Amino acid sequence: MMQELLIGALSIEILYSFVIIICSLMIYFGTKELYELSTHRGLKYFRLAFLFFAIAYFFRSFIKFVLIYFDTSTIINLSPRIFDKIFGQLTLLIFMYFSSMAIFYLLNSVMWKKWDKKPGIIYLLHGTATLIALVSIYSKNPVTYLGLNILLFFFIAIVVVLAYKNKTKTAKHNLYLVYMLLFIFWILNIIDILIPNFLQAFQLLVYLASSTIFLLILYKVIKRTGVD
Amino acid sequence: MAKRNKLEIMRDILNIVQNNKEIKPTPLLRQSNISSSRFKKYFSELSDKDFIKSVYGERNEKLIVLTNKGERFLEKYKTIINFIEEFEL
Repeated sequence: MMQELLIGALSIEILYSFVIIICSLMIYFGTKELYELSTHRGLKYFRLAFLFFAIAYFFRSFIKFVLIYFDTSTIINLSPRIFDKIFGQLTLLIFMYFSSMAIFYLLNSVMWKKWDKKPGIIYLLHGTATLIALVSIYSKNPVTYLGLNILLFFFIAIVVVLAYKNKTKTAKHNLYLVYMLLFIFWILNIIDILIPNFLQAFQLLVYLASSTIFLLILYKVIKRTGVD
Repeated sequence: MAKRNKLEIMRDILNIVQNNKEIKPTPLLRQSNISSSRFKKYFSELSDKDFIKSVYGERNEKLIVLTNKGERFLEKYKTIINFIEEFEL
C-alpha cells in the first residue's frame, strides 16, 4: 500500500517535471532563431532562464526516477542509505542552483538595461544562487529555508513592482502578473522539496498552477514567434 | 524624430541595401543617417553577422549586397520587435 502511494506520488512528480521540461525546452529552442538574428541581451537572458528551468527540473525528478527505477545503488555497490544521501544531496544542490539561476535570469531579462550599468551583477546572481544551494544542503532547519525563500521572494517582488511602476502606459501587458505568479509558485515548489510535509495537502494544486503558468508562457511565445 | 535603437538602425541599413539591391559604402553611409564612426561599428557588426557582404562590380568598385541571412532578419524583424515588447525584454 505504502509502496503504491510512493509510486503514485513519484509518477505525478515526474509528469509535472516532464511538462515543465518540455515547455521550457520548447521556449528555449522556439526563440533560437530570434536570438541568433537579433543577439538581443534580454532575449538571451530570457532563453537562459528556461534552459536553466529545464535542467533544474530534470535533476528534480528524472534523476530520482532513473536511480529508483534501475536501482542504481545495487549496480555501484553502495548501501541504499549512503547512496540516497550522496545522490539526494547532489541532485538537490544542482536543482537549487539551476532553479535559482533560472529565476535570476528571468529577472535579468526585464532588468538588464538597468543592471548592465552595474558591473559584476551576473556574478553576484551566480554567487547568490550558489549560496542558496549550499544553505539548502547544509542547513537542516526548515525555518532557515522558509526565511531565505521569503527574503528572496520579497527581493524579487520589490524589483518587479519597481520595474512595473517605471513602465509607460504602453506596456499594457499583464506579463508582470504572470512573472509574479511564477515566482510565487517557484517559492512554493522549493518549500515543497525542502520541507515535504509543509504543503502536502496543496501539492497537486501547486503542480497544476505551476504547469498552467509555464503553459501560458509557452502559448505567448508560440503566438509571438509564429510558425513559418 | 525619435532616437532609433540598435535593432532599428540595423533594419534601416539593411532596408537601404535591399531597396538598392547593391550599393556603394558612401551612399549607404549617407542614407543611413548616422555618424561615420557609428556607421563603421554597425557595418562591421552586420558583416560579422553575415547580414551583408562586399562584392566587386564591373568597374571593380566595392558594392554592398544583402545576404540570405540579412533578408531573413528583415523578414523576422517585426516578430523580434513584437516578442521583445510582449515579454518586456
